[in-house]
Amino acid sequence: MLFLQLLANGLQVGAIYALTAAGFSLIFGSTKIFHFAHGATFAIAAYLFHFALAGLGLHWTFAVAVAAFSAVLFGVLLDRLMYAPIQRHEGSFFTVFVASFGIGIVVQNLLGSVFGRGFMSVATPLSNSVEVMPGLYLSPLNGLAIVSAIVCFAALHFFLTRTFVGKGLRALSENPELVRMFGLSPRRLSTYAFALGSLLVVPGAIFTAAGTGINPAVGHHVMLISLAATIVGGIGSLRGAACAGLLIGVAENLALWKLGTQWSEAMTFAILFFFIIFKPSGFFGRATVS
Amino acid sequence: MLRKTLFSITFAIGLASAVSVQADGIEIGAVFPLSGPNATYGDIFMSGAELAARHVNEDGVLTGDLNILYEDSQALPQQGVVAMNKLVNVEGVPYVLSAFTGVSKAISTLARRSQTVAVNGGGVGPDLAELGDYFWNVIPLANNEVGALARYAVEDLGHKRFTLVYVDDPLGESILNELEKTLPPLGAELVESHSIAASAQQFSGVAARVRSSNPDVVYVASYGSQQLQIVKQLRDNGVKARIASYSAFSVPELQAQAEAQGALFTTQSIDWDSEDPVTKRFVDDYRAEHNKNPTSYIANYYNAVRVFALLAQALEEQGKEITGANLLAQRKATDTFELVGGEVSFQENGTLLAPIQVLKVDGSGSGKVVSVKAAD
Amino acid sequence: MTAYILNLLVLISVYAILSTTLNFIIGYAGIFSLAHAVFFGIGGYTAALVAMNVTPEFFVAVPVAMGAAAVTSLLLALPALRVRGEYFVAASLGLQVLAVTLFSEWKSFTGGIGGVIGIPAVELFGYPVYKPWQFLLMSLICLATIIVITRTLVHTSFGRSLKALRDSESAALASGKNITVIKTLSVVLSSSLAAAAGALYAFYMSFINVESFMLDTSVLVMAMVIIGGTATILGPLLGAALLMLIPSALTYLSFLPQTEIGSIQQMVYGMAMVLLMIFRPGGIVSSHPGGSK
Repeated sequence: MLFLQLLANGLQVGAIYALTAAGFSLIFGSTKIFHFAHGATFAIAAYLFHFALAGLGLHWTFAVAVAAFSAVLFGVLLDRLMYAPIQRHEGSFFTVFVASFGIGIVVQNLLGSVFGRGFMSVATPLSNSVEVMPGLYLSPLNGLAIVSAIVCFAALHFFLTRTFVGKGLRALSENPELVRMFGLSPRRLSTYAFALGSLLVVPGAIFTAAGTGINPAVGHHVMLISLAATIVGGIGSLRGAACAGLLIGVAENLALWKLGTQWSEAMTFAILFFFIIFKPSGFFGRATVS
Repeated sequence: MLRKTLFSITFAIGLASAVSVQADGIEIGAVFPLSGPNATYGDIFMSGAELAARHVNEDGVLTGDLNILYEDSQALPQQGVVAMNKLVNVEGVPYVLSAFTGVSKAISTLARRSQTVAVNGGGVGPDLAELGDYFWNVIPLANNEVGALARYAVEDLGHKRFTLVYVDDPLGESILNELEKTLPPLGAELVESHSIAASAQQFSGVAARVRSSNPDVVYVASYGSQQLQIVKQLRDNGVKARIASYSAFSVPELQAQAEAQGALFTTQSIDWDSEDPVTKRFVDDYRAEHNKNPTSYIANYYNAVRVFALLAQALEEQGKEITGANLLAQRKATDTFELVGGEVSFQENGTLLAPIQVLKVDGSGSGKVVSVKAAD
Repeated sequence: MTAYILNLLVLISVYAILSTTLNFIIGYAGIFSLAHAVFFGIGGYTAALVAMNVTPEFFVAVPVAMGAAAVTSLLLALPALRVRGEYFVAASLGLQVLAVTLFSEWKSFTGGIGGVIGIPAVELFGYPVYKPWQFLLMSLICLATIIVITRTLVHTSFGRSLKALRDSESAALASGKNITVIKTLSVVLSSSLAAAAGALYAFYMSFINVESFMLDTSVLVMAMVIIGGTATILGPLLGAALLMLIPSALTYLSFLPQTEIGSIQQMVYGMAMVLLMIFRPGGIVSSHPGGSK
């Protein structure tokens, strides 16, 4: 029964990871920007959701809108004001990384100064578990997280395969030159990638604010997971990142069956290390070994 | 050329600080968590220390104004050493307030080497009693706290099965050791113990395991924002057992938390309604300023500063310099101190002994006393 | 006050060793590692262990520490170097996180988060070195030695092979160079020199714990190299000095509120990274021709 319980917990956590990882993978795959501040986007969305709901007393639908708007705005602003200038220069992979890490530090401390450094959570009856069968406790949030992940992925799939911009984004990750030839601007597509990728953190951020609760460092762990999931899933493969995110969430929780919690992060990165060495192309990717 | 620039920058910093140091008062230091997830403790500790400094200065206990220099430890040992280094080497303070078990252990070497007194009023790891002559504790340590709680839970409430969720650091380990030592003689047992990383935030899995071990009491040994997350997630995930903890639970955020209501915790026992003049003045002024009852943390740091003022006053009367070594000698020569909570004396190892009270979180902000246990 | 300046200078020189050794693989071999702090840590813990149980002699503890890091890095580099680019970055990141867990859990070796307490002062041929200026002199000599070693290597045929590798791996392969051996050797060398920095750090602080060897440290050292300028001698030194001085300088701005100073420090530090990367993406010291000072 403990196994089932851990599996159920793992699926909920995995759904959140999958969405966040898909966002990171979308940005990284199509723009090649190592967007380490993706975790900061997560934290901003979570804090502003909490603030809108508890601080301003807005209805939850408005709070969701505030969170979504702020996440997209932050992502797009970073793309325009930080990444674009860096890329105009010689901007190597690591120049981008250092800047992105820097902005992550700024956001974490800013959130702490503005909203307080302690722990916060959205008070909601939805996070209370009920015993659905002996020894198995589920909360409405468990189900909601999984359902919204499925909905988001369906919408994402539709967007990427049926719309002009979506097709352009997919093409960008394949061949930027081709995109230019068809009269699309890679710069503009990059903005779309950031908007969409940042939007994908919102459900995870909201469920985290309601379930586990948040503190200013909340984005850090999620970011590491997204990164690992992107590699394990295969760079450039959204499907891979999503599956890997789910896998990591489940593995992290199932590890508790036999091990202490202090090993759960190590579990994730052991999976990552294993994939890099034995199957660097990930689940669905096309990467190379030298 | 660049080297030169570098040196001139360093030099400029030096000058700037030389100006800031030249106050004519008496300075002591404090290494508190002022940022990071444990910053809320820093604010609490500071309010006690500042109140004491104000009283000392109002009474003119010392020849100059007493001033406290704060440095940020973020409750991390590494940051603590850097902060302590600055206080000792730059500011040259003879007396430093310390907090948190990990930080206190880390700075104790520096305290000993530089003959600076470090005084802890927040960390409760039992090994803090063995950090040498220059490390004092104005707080009873966790061995007393765990013992008092275990006796109350087993003897008064009839609980038998304990599960421990503890943070993987010196404090958590010491609580684990104490529970393993204390429970069997009482006829109770520690069924399971779960160690968690200091940065962990996801506890639904731990909660599932705690539930399946079916305990009467879940002892939570963490601090700061993490303990709130643990409590919330335990309750959210269907753990109905009684929650228990130590003095780290006496922070306002936890006292107000819905999920924490009914939880037991321990602190040093201080009678806030005492007629003793030191206690009364402390409680009255604190209430006037903050409109609520003080907690034992606040009293501890008030006491830590007060101990310094009393010792320094004695040294000034004898015409001696206020140094760490002289403060230590003077403490050993002093039998008792008039502090908040009454007249107390230090043990040989520099630790205060005090009775422990068991409290229940009741939403009042300071908890309701349910039992007082004499010190072991 | 002098004590404080000396203290800062010692820390700067320790980090300068780290950034110089990381620059050796980033700047000359094109290997971007986010696991440098792991070897810093292995060096620190090993030196502490040797000093507390065998002898605090510099010429025993430091070589043992370097050896331990060399062996570990060899074991890790062999599989990890099979992959390139962002995959190696991710692999090194994974390694860094795994190492932090190990450092936290292997308590008999590392003391976990509680750390190793009371590391004795280092001895040079039996004479203890603990006065700040003595220690500064010692770490400056170490730094100078390491700069000379890496600089000499860069100008030998080994260094030319490295640069060929960085610029085009396939061309290097075509010209008959054994890529795996060259890469592995450079990683092992860089890691063992980083371990020397770890040993110095452990002796200087007389206390170490896992917090000094986490991802943040790896990123900090990486930032020192990138901000200073890759593939230069002066760049990493300057980067180390700059990033160490910013937080210290801020604590002296007395008008800042006490409770906010930690956050402000961190924000300024993060902002400095961002602005430097936007306006000087090539680093403060650029490695373009004529730049070897």
